[in-house]
This record gives sequence, C-alpha cells and structure tokens, in this order.
Amino acid sequence: MSAPMRDAAPARLPSERFRLELGGIGALTLLGLALVAVGPLLLDRYSVNILIRSFLYGSIAVTVDILWGFTGVLSFGQSAFFAIGAYACGLAFSHLDFTPLVAVAALGGGVVVAGLVAALIAWLAFGTGVSPLYISVVTLVLSIVFVQVIYAGGDFTGSSSGLSGFDTFDLSNEAWFRIAGVALVLVTLLGWIFVRSDAGRLLVSIRENEQRCRYFGISTSWVKGALLVVSAVVAALAGYAYAAYTDVVAPDLGDFQFGTMLVIWVALGGRGTLIGPAIIAVLIDFVSAWLSGSLPFVWQLVVGAVFIVVIVIMPQGLGPALAGLVRRLLPRVSRIQPTAARLAEAPTYDIETHMQMGHAPAAVEITGVARSYGSLHVLEDISFTGRRGELVSLVGPNGAGKTTLIRCISDGQERTRGRIAIQGREVGRMPPERCVRLGLGRKFQTPNVFDALTVAESLRVSRSRLERLSPWRRADEIHLPEAAMQVARATGLVAQLGTTVRHLSHGAKQALELAMVLAMEPSVLLLDEPTAGLTKPERTLIGGILVDLVAKHGLCILLIEHDLEFVREISSRIIVLHQGRIVLDGSVEEVVTSELVRTIYTGEPQAIGEPAAAGPGSDG
Amino acid sequence: MTDLLLDILTTAGILFVVAVGLLIVFGVLKIINFAHGGFLTLGGYAALIVTELNWSPWLAAPVALVIGLLLGAAVERLIVRPLYSRPLDAILATWGLSIVVVQLITIGFGRSTQFVLSPVQGAVPLLGTSYSLYRLIMLIVALVLGGLIGVVMQGTRLGLAARAVIMNETLAQSLGINSELVRFATFSVGAGIATVAGALITPLLSIDPLMGLPWLLNAFMLVMVSGTSLISLAAASLVLGGAQVVVSTYSSPVLGALTIVVLAAVLLRIRPAGFARA
Amino acid sequence: MVGAVLGLTLGSFAALAQNVVKIGVPIGLSGANSVVAPSVVQAGQLAVAEINAHGGILGKHVELDVADDGSGADGAVKAFNSLIFQQNVNALITMETSAARNAGLPVVARGKVPFIYTSSYEGRSCSPYLFVDAWVPEQQVPPVIDYFQKEKAAKTFFLVGSDYAFGRGMLGFTRKYIEAHGGKVIGEEYLPMDASDWTPVLSKLRTANPDALVSSTAGGAPNVTLTKQLRASGIQVPFGNLGVDEGTAKAIGADAAGVYVSQSYLTSLDNPQNKAFIAGLQKMFGSEMKTPNDLSEPEYDGVYLYKAAVEKAGSLDTDKVLKALPTVSFTGARGPIQMNKQHHAPLTMYLGQVQQDGSVKVIQSFKNVDPGDQCPKLK
Repeated sequence: MSAPMRDAAPARLPSERFRLELGGIGALTLLGLALVAVGPLLLDRYSVNILIRSFLYGSIAVTVDILWGFTGVLSFGQSAFFAIGAYACGLAFSHLDFTPLVAVAALGGGVVVAGLVAALIAWLAFGTGVSPLYISVVTLVLSIVFVQVIYAGGDFTGSSSGLSGFDTFDLSNEAWFRIAGVALVLVTLLGWIFVRSDAGRLLVSIRENEQRCRYFGISTSWVKGALLVVSAVVAALAGYAYAAYTDVVAPDLGDFQFGTMLVIWVALGGRGTLIGPAIIAVLIDFVSAWLSGSLPFVWQLVVGAVFIVVIVIMPQGLGPALAGLVRRLLPRVSRIQPTAARLAEAPTYDIETHMQMGHAPAAVEITGVARSYGSLHVLEDISFTGRRGELVSLVGPNGAGKTTLIRCISDGQERTRGRIAIQGREVGRMPPERCVRLGLGRKFQTPNVFDALTVAESLRVSRSRLERLSPWRRADEIHLPEAAMQVARATGLVAQLGTTVRHLSHGAKQALELAMVLAMEPSVLLLDEPTAGLTKPERTLIGGILVDLVAKHGLCILLIEHDLEFVREISSRIIVLHQGRIVLDGSVEEVVTSELVRTIYTGEPQAIGEPAAAGPGSDG
Repeated sequence: MTDLLLDILTTAGILFVVAVGLLIVFGVLKIINFAHGGFLTLGGYAALIVTELNWSPWLAAPVALVIGLLLGAAVERLIVRPLYSRPLDAILATWGLSIVVVQLITIGFGRSTQFVLSPVQGAVPLLGTSYSLYRLIMLIVALVLGGLIGVVMQGTRLGLAARAVIMNETLAQSLGINSELVRFATFSVGAGIATVAGALITPLLSIDPLMGLPWLLNAFMLVMVSGTSLISLAAASLVLGGAQVVVSTYSSPVLGALTIVVLAAVLLRIRPAGFARA
Repeated sequence: MVGAVLGLTLGSFAALAQNVVKIGVPIGLSGANSVVAPSVVQAGQLAVAEINAHGGILGKHVELDVADDGSGADGAVKAFNSLIFQQNVNALITMETSAARNAGLPVVARGKVPFIYTSSYEGRSCSPYLFVDAWVPEQQVPPVIDYFQKEKAAKTFFLVGSDYAFGRGMLGFTRKYIEAHGGKVIGEEYLPMDASDWTPVLSKLRTANPDALVSSTAGGAPNVTLTKQLRASGIQVPFGNLGVDEGTAKAIGADAAGVYVSQSYLTSLDNPQNKAFIAGLQKMFGSEMKTPNDLSEPEYDGVYLYKAAVEKAGSLDTDKVLKALPTVSFTGARGPIQMNKQHHAPLTMYLGQVQQDGSVKVIQSFKNVDPGDQCPKLK
C-alpha cells in the first residue's frame, strides 16, 4: 500500500486541480466584477436598463443548469418561482405602504412561499416509484396554474394587467446594474465551487445512476428536493429584484414559455458548464431586446433553429463547442492531466466488536417472504437465516427467483408478504437507502456504475454515507477499508483512478462496483454474480477476498453465482431455489450430493460443479 | 342534462382527435413530440389556405393531411432520428421546432387572428335540445379516427410491426422488423393526424400562430396518463374532458381550464401508470 | 467594448433627434392585439403624413417609431425602454392592452415623456404623464343597457367575459349599472384569455335563458370564438358586445350579424372629417388599407392633439406639453375632442348594430357623454 500509484500516470491531486481551477474562475470573477463596476460608465442608458434584467435571468439560468445539467432534474417551473418572488414584491408594495419593514417582510415572504412550493413539488416528484419525467410534468403544471391564479386574483393580483407603479426602492439604474451584476457573478461563482466540490460530484452521480446512489444509502429524493428548494429561493430573490427594479409584475413572468426559454438558454450555453448558460442567457436576452423592435420574429426563428441544431448536433452546447474549437486552434496543445485522489486505508471494520457481544442478532432473518406480480408467484414462503461469518450461496436455474429475493431483501417496497430483519432490525417498507443504513450492501447483476465519473470519484461517492462530502472542497484522500482496497489493487483499478468509468472494460466496471459496495463497509453483503466478466485469476482472487471478509471480519454474504465450481469453493452454505421456493438449504456437501438438486437444476442427473451446468443468463 | 352529456361527449371527442397523433408517436417512438402544437397550428393554416383559395371547406382536412405527412417525414429524418437514444433531448428539439414553425407561420401569414369557413352551420335538434352540428361531427370524427387507427394497428402489417415495436423493440428487430421504417412511418402519420386535427378544430375557433399551445398542453397531459393505448386515451379524454366540462359548468370555466392538467398531474402521482392497465 | 460602440451610435441618434419630432408607438403587433394593431398604425401614419405635408410640428419633421410590445407586460417593458431610452422619442401615442400600458407607465415615469393612450379601457389609470382620448365604461356601457331595457324590454341579463382586467372591469361596471337601473344580472361567467372553448358558458347561458347577453372579451380570438360558437349553438338572444371593434366584426362575417355595439367611432358616421379621414387612408394605403375602427381613429386624433399641445406650449419640453394638453381641442371624425376631464375626454357615443355585410348601422347617438370621476387626484 506504500506506493499505490507506482504504475499510474502522474495524476494531479484533486485539491491541486481545484486550486488551479479556482485561480481561473477567480480571475474570471474579478473580470466579471470589474465589468459590472465600469459597465454603467461605458454603456448607454438603454443597455444598462436591459442588462439589469438580463443579469437576473442569468442567475436563474445558473440554477436551471445545476438542476438539469448536473443533477438531471429538468424543471420548466423556474419561471414560476421567479414570479413568486416578483409578486411578493409587487403585492406587498401595492397593498401596503413602502417601508423597510414591509420590504424585508415581502422578501422573506416571497422566499418562504417559493421554498414551500418547491418543497411541495419535490414531495410530489421525488417520491419513490414516481416517474423521472414527472418533475418536468408537474413543474409545467405549476407554471400554468400560477398564471391562472394570478388571472383570477382580480384587483388583488391585478389579473392580466399585473401590478405597476407601486412605490419601490429609490435606487439609480447604475445601482441596480451593480446589484444584479454582482449577484450574477456571485451565484455563478458559488455554483461553480459547489459543483466542483465532492458534494457536486454527488449531483452528477445522481444524474448518471440514481439507483446506485440510493443503494449507497444516499437519500437522492432529499438531495434533489433540497436542490430544488435552493434553486427556487434563488429564482425568487431574482424575481423580487426584478419587480423592485422594473416596478411591474405581470402574469407572463411565471408562464411556461419563460420557463422553457430558460431551459433553451442552458442547452445553448452548455449543460453542466454553469458559465456557458450564464453568458448565453445574458447575451440572448440582451440581443433580443435590441432586436425586438426591428425584427422580433426573425430573431425568434434564429434562436429556435440554432437551438434545434445544437440539441441534435452538439448536445454539449455552444459554449463547450466553441471552447473545444479554440483549444484545437491554439498551438499549445494542453493535454489535460488526469486528476485522482490518493487511496488510503480506512480504520478497520468494527463488526468484530459487535460479534463479541455474544447474543447479537442474526445478520439476515427472512421469514415467510413472498413476491407476486398479479397472479404470478415469483417467490413463495422463503424463510432462512444468514448468520455472521457465513457465506451463503443462492443457486437455482434461471427464473428461480434469486435476483427477486435479493431485491426483496434490499428494498422494503418489493415483497408482497413476509418479514425481513437485518442485524435484528425490521426492514418494514423501507426504501433502499434506509435498508442500506441497516448495514446492507448490494452489488447488481450487471455493472451498475457512474459512467461520467472517474474511478476515484466513484469510490469517493460510495463512501459518502461514512465520510461527509464537502460542498466547497475536494478531498485528496479516499479512505477505503482493507477489502475494497484489495479488490482495487488486485484488479488494477488503482492504476486507473483518474480514468473515466465510461472507458473501463466490462470486468473493470464489475470490480469497481464491488469495490464501491465494499467501501460502504456493509455487514451484510448481497452479491449478484460479482465475478461475471472477470478473468480466472481475478475470480480466484475475489473469491479469496470474500472468504477473508467472512472469516476475518464476520460479514454475512449472500451470493448468487452461476459458476458452481466457484460456489463450491467458497460457500459455507448453499440454498437451492426452484420455482420461487427453497428446495434445499444445507452444507455444500449436502447440496452437491443431492439427487433432487441435480434433477431440478439440469433437468437430468448431473453433478453440481461440472462446468456444463454453469451457464450465463439472466434471472427473473 | 342532455346538454351536459353532449358537451362531455363532444369535448372528449375533440380532445381525443387532438391528442391521438401525439399518442401514437409516443407509443412507437417513446418520445414526446412537442412540435405537436406546431403541427396543429399548421393544420389550422392549411384550412385557411383552403378557405382563401375558395375551395370547399371539406377539403381542409385532406390538404392538411398531405402537408402533415410530408413535414412529419422530413422532421423524422432530420431532427427526430438522431435523438432516439436521447428522449429528453427529443422533447427539447421538437419544442425548438415548434418555435420555428410558429415564427415561420408568423412571417408567412402575419400575426393576426384569422378565420376559416365552417363546412356546416348552426345547430341541429337532437334528443329534445338543439346542439352545435359541428361539435357532433367532431364526435363522429373521433370515433371514426379511433376505429381506423385501431383497425390499422390490429389488421395490417404496419400495425403489427408497430405493435411489436411498442412492446419490445429489440425483440421486434430480431424478428426482422425494420424498426427504423416503422418509426419513420409512425412519426409521419402522427404528424399527419396532428395537422388534420388542427384543420378540424379551426371552424369552431380562430387561427393564430399560437393556437396550438393550449391544445399541446392538454394533449401532452392526456398522453402522459394514457401511456400507449388508444383505449386508455379514449377513457382519459372522457374522464378528464368530462371533468373539465363539469367543473366549468357547475363551478367556473377558469377552474375548468385547469382541470385537465391538474387532475392528470395528481393522477400520475397517485398512479404512475395512469389509465393504462399495467 | 461593444457597449462603448453602441453608446456612440446612440449619441448620434440623439443628435439627429434635434431636428425631428419622434412619436413612439409601442403596440401589440403580435399577441392578443395583433388583429387591430395594423389599423392603429395606419391611422397614426396618416396623421403624421398629413402633418408633415403641412410643415410638421414647430417646423420639425415628424417620425413614427413603432415597436412590438407582444400585447403583454414583458414585451411592453422592452418596447417602452427601447422607444424612450434607445430611440429617444418625444412622446408616446398608442393603443395597447391594459397589461402593456401598466407595464409601460413606470418606464414612462422614469423617462418623463407625455403618453397619450388612445385605447378604450376599463378606466382609472392615472399618471401625470398619461392622457386618454378614448372611452371608459362610464361612457360605453349605458347606451347598450339603456337600449336593451327600453327597446327590448330586457329585465334579466347574462354577462360573459375574458378573465382579465378589461373584461372584469367592464362587466363589473355593467353589473352595477344594470342593478342601479332596475335590471337583474342572472349570470356572470369568465373564460381564461387564451381559452377558446365557450361550450360550458353557452350551456349555462342556455339554462339561464336571459333577456339579453352582454359580453366583454379580449379583442381578436376570444371575440370571434364566442360569436361563432354562440351562433353554432343556436341560442337566440339580443347580444351586446362591449369588446368588439368594427374591423373584427367585419372579419367574423355573417355570424356577427345582429350584434349590438357601442362605440365612439363607426365608419358609417356622416361628417366631413370622417369622409376625409377614410379618403386619406384609402389614398395612402390603397388595397393595404385596414378598416378604421373605434380603436384606430383615436390614434389619429391623438397625434393631432399632441401637435396642438406642442404648438401651444411652443416647445417639446415635457412639462410644458403636459400643461398644454388638457387645454387643446381637435375636431376629428368623432367630433371635437378635448382631454379636459381629469386627463380623460367627454365623447359622443353611438349605438350600432352589425349588418349582414359586416358594416355597422347607427341606431342611436348620445352626445358628449362624460367620463365621470376617473382620476380625482389629477385636475
């Protein structure tokens, strides 16, 4: 472990890279602030007027990018949150006197209402079993409903005419320009720091593979909900400033066309780049204000057409496409150095201490579990106990219900009947992320990884439940338990820490997922064909590690494997499933010699463990 | 009471006609065509051209169909095909397309509200009341269109292939079905039905470049709760359209206008499969 | 950098503006007002062409600067900003939706330019910069209701509108007026502005079976869909439409026949000013001419009223022009107009009925109807 990076390309440490990039963004920030400071001196009055609004729109575009570009949450409703902030200002100043107290109360009210509405939307959209598209649908509905509510509000909301001419802050255009400009620079800077941090990597991993995140014990609904609320608050603040500056609020601030326009800006500027959307939003809004008098329809046509072309041909957006072009044209070809954190040994498992407590509860206790889809019974009356220090293999022909059983253990919503306890605690109807917190780890049948992250980042995210991810820094060291470290080392992952997972071989992805699951330090490990796609030596090695985990650290492992030779070598017990029922639960010897098992397993008498019996394939 | 019943039935019929093109595209291609509203608008303008050429108003729908089929074919080739693997991007690209369509129409036909001739006028006596003849015709159109699509899906090779692609695309491909062709044909037909729907609803309404938008939103919500089945769509049109009429009649039309989108959103949350059986 | 260049360009515009009088027309070329907007622009262009042919205003050439406000607030903020701060117009004279007008007013206050609003509206919009030369509910509603009560013996009324400020404002006043004059409102229904299906409203109308129907919808599409669907439903009832202009009535065609309207201007008005106005439009625009109407003619008057005020003030200075505006009068197709009642103008109103060919026949006229207390704080 002394020299883990020996055979790897010299990779930069995350903190170094982060500091380097921070230098760049810092320079950009200063440039932005300088422009904001001198802007009113150089620009004519009209441009200053228009840019104030463009800057506010830019800030919302940044929030849309964090939601959609980074986290994959496509919201059409940011316009509604913007309008909520704006109406908080308009309503308060129209119906109450303009006093500092009212101004502050209105700001607070707008922020709170926007936050509450966002929380409600999050509750609706990010619940278990809700379609990922639902957030887009429900935010669309939000903007439609918002506009109708304003229309129906009569004199109170000003209906279609909106509210205008209320007393507002007595600030010059130059002051508003600087407020909006500084706000845009700050929102972009803070957003940038956040998405580059370890916590920011978590957003990308949610976008890439939400299921895997949940099985790392991360409450993705909560993360997405919190993000939506924060974005709503930022949008509401921008809306408040908009209303206070223009002295007008009108229903079309919150409508679905504006919400869609924000999404278009982000796509054009470059999803997941933050700065691209901010710049494009300001640019397009500014230019369209200039052109609105002379050729509004042609301009809209051009924006629409460019948008289609960008989506179809360069989905990464205009910003990155231009940046790529510039990089290619520059003579100094700067090869991007890979970045990766160092691996370090985590303090060892504390399961042993549990074990010494004597009458500790069983690792997994399954009682009368059944799963049916309508009239189809996939599992019936499954009961067994997995103890610490046991490696239990689940075998059976395709469709026997092995994977379904694993799914029922790791997700409380899955089973139709029966009880499951992990470490003596009832699973009930817990979603996966809470099951995982009981000490469960699950590796899926096909590699379930984060394609857009590097190996090191993936491992970092998998540890997030044990080591909090910082929202403003990147850690240089990833602490892995011995077993995860062994897997990483044995399969050559340590040499590929800076490699993007997308570029890994199938076997390496398998190994990575196993390492990630082990990094969670589970006490009960559910493995669905962990060695499929690995080479013979790698399998032997992994087999050794599993046996070691069981023997030394007292884990309980439930293993689905088709390679029965492998099963025979490492199992302490074998459970044979057939047509959704346990037909045999016994020692390796008992199962191997069972006539019944031979018959059901192969359709003809044959010894388990003979290669002919092993076959790849999927399992219901 | 008879009036209410007729209102519900004809409203459901109109909603069905407007949404069915979107449904079949969603069913086969698994993408949501946000240019559907643009296609509806285009159908309205096809009817306008027919009126301006002094042709019979009955020709509006066939003319719209031809325009829709051709445009749909072109759009599938150029915009939709590269995005099959990116369904969310397909929503955005087709939304961009609808912006382009609206602006082109604006440049070509002006921004103003225009009107077309209705092939029939006035009301007819029915079940003891008198009722708008054109709305009744729309109900019949909905039934015929639904029936026709049903027959095509059940009884022809294209329909068989389309159903195979809906159920399991990989399997369909391995059975030698040219899924690319099926998608191409489906999108083209879906666009054609959309333009026809646009041409059919205009005699009741007026035409302007943005006329498709409210219809797109309702159609989108109906398809969301219907999944891929014609029967679900018919049920959804009847239930949600009926709810809209009832709310509008007994409460207020302002609330009624929100009924479809809000009910659909609630329904999707409680039962993600919506009206579909699975 | 770009900004600096733009700033220079704008500077030269401003210099140029010394020799011309620029009149800004922010208007709904797109959106709800798109049907009527071209006729308003033509009325303005005619007035400007006539004035220029007779030596301009204070010897300066007059220019019309049209900007699309999209018939909404957001577009209006852009259009007003562009006209006032980019084009440096001397005054704004236009017809707009209430949303656009309200959104523009704060910009007007910041830019300090006179603003003559030439659209009939729901009333009570007050600003030192704002003058109105078109009708408000107090002037438009009484002719229709009085006629229905006296001539049609109507006792029960059904009110239908678009759910927006104008619709609700008009019908609110109408209800009060009907109830104050012994009538009864047995139904008041609104449809969202962008909705086009009037089926549920018509069902309620059929059930209520009133003596008369009064509507106040948004211009353009909702007006058309209501009229068409009303005819298709076969419901027979005297129908007074407060929101329809002559051009739209003509576009609807035969379906609009029989509808009662109350206007301050109708193309059939028999006076020399109207004949000259229509002849001027025909000469200037030929086949491109849009039918003049109650929303477009006030634009023509508005430009002349502004001319009179500037000439009386002897300067383009905003304060002086604002002071002169209520004191000047202009006799156009609608007769003499003076905005001397709290920035609003007494008007002669006409009750008309749409004929089969889309023209409107005058049935009764009401002289110098007072706008009532619109802006008590303004003199």
